[in-house]
Amino acid sequence: MLSITAVSHSFNGAPAITDVSLTVQPGEIVAIVGPSGCGKSTLLRIAASLLSPDAGEVHTTGARLGYIFQEPALLPWLRVRDNATLLADAASDAPFVESLLARAGLTEHRDKWPHELSGGMKMRLSLVRTMAARPSVVLADEPFGALDQITRHHLHDELLALHSTQPFAMVLVTHAIDEAVYLADRVLTMSPAPGRITATTTVPLARPRHAGLRYDANFAAVCGKVAASLTAAGA
Amino acid sequence: MSASRTKRWRAPLASVSVFVGLWYGLAYSLDNNFASSDGSALIVPPPHKLFEGLNTRTVERIATATGISVATAFTGLIIAVVLGSALGLFMASARAVERAIWPWLIAVQVTPVIVLTPIIVRIFGPSFAARVFVTVVVAFFPIASNVLFGVRSIPQSWRDLFVLRGASRAVTIRELWIPASLPSFFAGLRISAGLAVIGSIVGDFFFTRGDAGLGRLINYFFLDTRSGPMFVTALIASFVGFGFFGVAGLLRKLFVDPWHKP
Repeated sequence: MLSITAVSHSFNGAPAITDVSLTVQPGEIVAIVGPSGCGKSTLLRIAASLLSPDAGEVHTTGARLGYIFQEPALLPWLRVRDNATLLADAASDAPFVESLLARAGLTEHRDKWPHELSGGMKMRLSLVRTMAARPSVVLADEPFGALDQITRHHLHDELLALHSTQPFAMVLVTHAIDEAVYLADRVLTMSPAPGRITATTTVPLARPRHAGLRYDANFAAVCGKVAASLTAAGA
Repeated sequence: MSASRTKRWRAPLASVSVFVGLWYGLAYSLDNNFASSDGSALIVPPPHKLFEGLNTRTVERIATATGISVATAFTGLIIAVVLGSALGLFMASARAVERAIWPWLIAVQVTPVIVLTPIIVRIFGPSFAARVFVTVVVAFFPIASNVLFGVRSIPQSWRDLFVLRGASRAVTIRELWIPASLPSFFAGLRISAGLAVIGSIVGDFFFTRGDAGLGRLINYFFLDTRSGPMFVTALIASFVGFGFFGVAGLLRKLFVDPWHKP
């Protein structure tokens, strides 16, 4: 679905990521955790072909890429409904976009401007916009980092609900260990700059996952493992 | 009108009162300001004597001059908007283009209009086109530089979004660059609107043939020592500037304020 092979990149001579390889299977959610500035965003931009790497290769055969930015990145001059359809294929997708808006609780806000929405609603709209393009691979760059915990947990569940009805592969970059473990099938640990993948932790938690899982001993154990791998990586 | 709206007008009203007070003070403190024969103002007419020296012929001349200056400023401003926006977008398209054009813009910008006007009149003759040309030269810079700044300030994520959309250059300019730079465009337009009026009036001083605009008329009344009409003409000139500035602000309110919250 998405495969990255031996990718390296530097900015003005300073290496950002070195020799990163990563393969994502259809429907699989892979989280990448690492300290800030370790090159997580650089890796995602390379995966999305927004940046060409100095070395290595990216293959996205037949994949439809979706990208979720750190900030909602809504266009302020477009109303909610027009932001939602920005990436959708055609007018024929309108009912589908409407259903996504409804699921996100945004139907009654469809004629508002982005600045009239709360932070959580903005991020939901950003998610709707990405999903409206029916992506097969979603690249998400710390999408929930700026939200409060309650909103963040709601959005985790909304994302998982979307994933179960409209399966997509996902690479989720985050610095929150619990978020990575709650959402992902695999968690990759990245070292501080220059970023390398130093550990892979499989998350042996069944789907569907529900909020109560966060207080489960198994969940805590996986989080502990990821945390240990981060410490080992020097983060 | 609500209490808060009444409150909003207090400060401007107070400053206008102070201005009128100072005006009276000046008019009555000047030596020999009033003719001993009929008491008419010679140097600075106080506000209530402003319209004393106006006859039908003078009013007609002021009206014609206002028409010419407004037409010049308006035409010049429209061209400045089109040219300035196009130049701003063009410079935003590549650093090399910006580096090639920017020094010329600065050169035009820092050269006083009073220096450029005789050259333009020499080349174009004292035509309407020459008047408009002067106005364009004065007014286009804030628009060009603000549009350039607006496009340069587009967040990386919005640019990425259009790359991911597979948008062509034309679509990106139409759907991203232009709307994203509207707020700074209107900031530039407000400055340019005022400059266009100044340009049309200052440039007018050099048009010694054809109908006079406000600039030449003020000069004529000055040389003719007719203070009343001179002050009236000056006031009209500033009201024209006010009007242009106001319309620019109104357009901004209409097209940008609903969605733009800085």
